[in-house]
Amino acid sequence: MKKLWKTSILAGSAMAILAGCSSDESGSGSGSGGGSETIDMWVFGTTGYEELAEKYMEENPDVKINVQSTEMGDHHNNLFTALSAGQGAPDIAMIEVGEIERYREAQDRFANLYDLGAEDVQGDYLEWVWNVGQSADGEFMFGLPTDIGPTAMYYRKDVVEEAGYPTDPAELAASLDTWEAYSQFAKDVAEKTGKPVVDNAELIFNAKRDQADEHYFNRDNELIVEDNAAIREAYDYTVSLIEEGAVGNMPLWTPEWGQGMAEGSYATLLGPAWMQGVVKGNAPDSDQWMITTMPEGAGNWGGSYLTISEESDQQEEAYAFIEWLVSPETQLESFKDMGLFPSTPATYEQDEFVNYTDDYFGGINTAAVFAEAADQVKDVYKGRNYLLVQGEIMTALNNVLSSGGDPDQEWDDAMERIKQRLERE
Amino acid sequence: MVSNSEKYTEKKTKRSMSQEKRNSIAGYLFVSPFFILFAIFGLFPMLFSFYLAFFKWNGLGEMTFNGINNFTIIFNDPIFWKSIYNTVVIGLLGTVPQLIVAFLLAYALNAQALRFKNTFRVAIFMPYVTSIVAVAILFSIIFNNQSFGLVNSILGVFGVDPIVFTQSEWGAKIAIATMIFWRWVGYNTIIYLAGMQSISSDLYEAAKIDGATLSQQLRYITLPMLKPFILFTVFMGTIGSLQIFTEPLIFFGGNLREEGITVVAYLYRDAFENNFFGTASATAIVLFGIIMIFSVLNLIITNRLGRGKARKA
Repeated sequence: MKKLWKTSILAGSAMAILAGCSSDESGSGSGSGGGSETIDMWVFGTTGYEELAEKYMEENPDVKINVQSTEMGDHHNNLFTALSAGQGAPDIAMIEVGEIERYREAQDRFANLYDLGAEDVQGDYLEWVWNVGQSADGEFMFGLPTDIGPTAMYYRKDVVEEAGYPTDPAELAASLDTWEAYSQFAKDVAEKTGKPVVDNAELIFNAKRDQADEHYFNRDNELIVEDNAAIREAYDYTVSLIEEGAVGNMPLWTPEWGQGMAEGSYATLLGPAWMQGVVKGNAPDSDQWMITTMPEGAGNWGGSYLTISEESDQQEEAYAFIEWLVSPETQLESFKDMGLFPSTPATYEQDEFVNYTDDYFGGINTAAVFAEAADQVKDVYKGRNYLLVQGEIMTALNNVLSSGGDPDQEWDDAMERIKQRLERE
Repeated sequence: MVSNSEKYTEKKTKRSMSQEKRNSIAGYLFVSPFFILFAIFGLFPMLFSFYLAFFKWNGLGEMTFNGINNFTIIFNDPIFWKSIYNTVVIGLLGTVPQLIVAFLLAYALNAQALRFKNTFRVAIFMPYVTSIVAVAILFSIIFNNQSFGLVNSILGVFGVDPIVFTQSEWGAKIAIATMIFWRWVGYNTIIYLAGMQSISSDLYEAAKIDGATLSQQLRYITLPMLKPFILFTVFMGTIGSLQIFTEPLIFFGGNLREEGITVVAYLYRDAFENNFFGTASATAIVLFGIIMIFSVLNLIITNRLGRGKARKA
């Protein structure tokens, strides 16, 4: 009998170890219930929030914050799993702007930041940024905005000059103030340099799309893309550039895309503020890249929101921390240290911001260009199946670009596929 | 020794449980960690996906009963049928040449005259222990769409226009099949090699004395004796190729296109990109059915071949 006891104890402890493994994971989220007062926070990418959390803890000795940083894809998968299971989510989670859409109907998993006092700071943020963080009816606030990615036009001085256009940012912006002028510019670039005006079909389509008031879904989450003239116009505009031979075939993030950046294989890159780091990384020795505003407005690509989970039992402490973390003053720190572009217009008035210059981009104040763009971004509702629609339209455009597809047929096919896939919802 | 243990058993049986019973309980306890983990991470998800196939669920909201609608939706989706076609074609392209080459490589490795045998064996097996993701990334660069991609440059030498591999019906399939070929050919070579080494050299000597040529030896000795090994590799290859997933996912860099989407990639896209867990589970069940059919077919063929051999013997 003694032996049997021993074996069962052994097996029991083995199971406890196994159980320990799994509760460890969930423990990192809800460990606060166990008496320790640590606030768990999940972030992705390089935010510098670890250092800022240290600073906050120095100022507030009774608060303990544990910041855990994971790669972007894994971060969002882990978070979705934890939120789906209803257990194991951290107190504070950072959610990327594209990912936040899928949580729109999951209000029961998050704390409503309006209940925690978010209304008091609403005025600090750009309206369109704030609205993405709340439910379609504006009753529920999911997360406070961190940084944003307003878009502008990066351009190569050498290619622009060869095409016979001014290389000064203000002058170039003045001569390319409409998409029609840009179209002519594309023709000139193709004719005089033999190079495409843009790297690929995606960014030019996105640039046009982002200037529309509505995209693929309306606020009732109904599919409107097929009858949305503005989106069709963005599609047709991209097709017209493809037909001019002005669109490159260098998909984002591929080796040839980065190489093209270094060699100046295309004239303009319609990218967001954070693309500055990517350009510098891919073309460290180039002195040809400049930034100016793009024709007729701007869009936004990227940025994140800080959410508090429903299951957290320290919602107030967590809220106090994130309110501080993304306040205009702290966002200025994040901008200076990590280059995160602030979502708070008050920051744009600060001296460090106004006097900012970047030697890489010809010593101009790039921050001012993006601040101007941030002000022009449209307040658009995206909807939870936004990326599905976007993916199918990209497939259509790539077929036109590289496989010689008929633009109208490809558009119709894409609409067909979108409807087929949305039946599953 | 014997009497000692008998005494021991006798003493013990006076207690509530027999030694035998206690031994078996201990045994079960020792193997239980696997079964507990399997039940949680293997069995439960399997059963749950059968359940989910009849519901609509986005992972966060309420599940709503959807009857057989999920199946109707996927059966009406041309991309679903395309994904099955792709899976079979890529599977055939990746497996059939692979098994033939593996057989020839194994035959060469088994040759008496070959030197540095172990080096070659290790080298050939190496791809199998490489991470699939690394393989897929590397081959995506080899099959680059641009004219300076490795394959396109080689084709360029022969005056062939560069192929946009990710958007070409056969280009995408050949690229993905090549990754599978490269990664698995060594594994099958080692299995065939093990099989060839188990064939007694007496048979070859006897054949040589009877004047059999090399190709006759191969045909009448090596091939028949390797039958069980060949069946095993065909069996594993069939199941493996029905589950091709990582290669297309990385090859297309996220936007899975119909030229190369496989069944598993199709259901992954539904489940983890769009959170349509209902149709994803329904697809998984259809795939389960297809794998069952193939496995049963394989079994029938195996049995028939086995019986044929027995009759001959």
